[in-house]
Amino acid sequence: MKTIILAICLFSAALLAQEVLPFADDQQRQLYQELTAELRCPQCQNQNIADSNAIVAVDMRQKTYELVQQGKSRQQVLDYMINRYGDFVHYQPPVNRFTVWLWLLPALMLLGLLIVGLLRRRQQTKIEATASMQLNETELDQLIDRYRSKKP
Amino acid sequence: MRKVMFYLPLALFLALALFLLSGLFSDPRERDSASLNKPLPEFALADLMQPEKIWTPAELKGETFLLNVWGTWCPTCNAELGYLTELRAQGVKIVGLYYELPRDPAFDAPFNLATLQAEVQQKLEQQGNPYQFNMLDLTRSVSLDLGVSGAPETFIIDRSGIVRAHHIGDINPQVWRSKLAPLYQEWLNK
Repeated sequence: MKTIILAICLFSAALLAQEVLPFADDQQRQLYQELTAELRCPQCQNQNIADSNAIVAVDMRQKTYELVQQGKSRQQVLDYMINRYGDFVHYQPPVNRFTVWLWLLPALMLLGLLIVGLLRRRQQTKIEATASMQLNETELDQLIDRYRSKKP
Repeated sequence: MRKVMFYLPLALFLALALFLLSGLFSDPRERDSASLNKPLPEFALADLMQPEKIWTPAELKGETFLLNVWGTWCPTCNAELGYLTELRAQGVKIVGLYYELPRDPAFDAPFNLATLQAEVQQKLEQQGNPYQFNMLDLTRSVSLDLGVSGAPETFIIDRSGIVRAHHIGDINPQVWRSKLAPLYQEWLNK
């Protein structure tokens, strides 16, 4: 019995907490959800506007909703926001000369690691090769002879 | 070559440590504003105290001024009122953009202009009145167009109505002297 009451309380609260926004079709609803997940709140900096309840995030959600309702495309809504809040507001930054390092640096590090690994391996095999070359038989014999001759 | 390889990890570590150290002293709120060097967005806002008066960007042209986004609900804005009043006494023209909070129909009383006016009047009498006048941004749409992320924020608008500076956060003597005053002087004299 208790669990049933608890379940009713929990689920009804969850239902009430949902914002109900009417959309013309599922495509628009999906676009709205994508956009609010991708746009970043300028006030609470590590939240998207779907998660944040800052005033500016509420306003941006409202504006996104309006623009989607007007039939604006995904790029048009993004441009609208970027025009006002800068590239900062979109979680997928554009590639330019400052941000290109985000993609280049990991590749460069991998390349560097590969080169260092190859160099080390080559050095290792060289040492092994010279070591085995030194151990030919005549040299060994000479060594033994020398050793013996020193003995009284 | 061996020596270089020996010191390379240390050099990389130092470079990373320096980069992270500089991050400790940088302000994450400091970022390039998208509204810089653009004209004021189109608007028609009512004067807060005389709602029959409508302000448009065209009417704000002719003089360099500070546009200060504020609200009586915002403690930081109230704290800077005193210093802004000093600036007004020094001859700086300051216009207020009143940033009204959204209302939850389930909990909040509906918007009432007379109540807000009384509240603002009282606050400005207590803390000092730096404003030539206030424009009421009831739906915060002009603030959204300006790229305002909260209150307080301050813009420097030049005489031809173009945004020349955007400061997020309060104005105190240090911020004014080091950041805003030079820009204000520069655009005042142009």
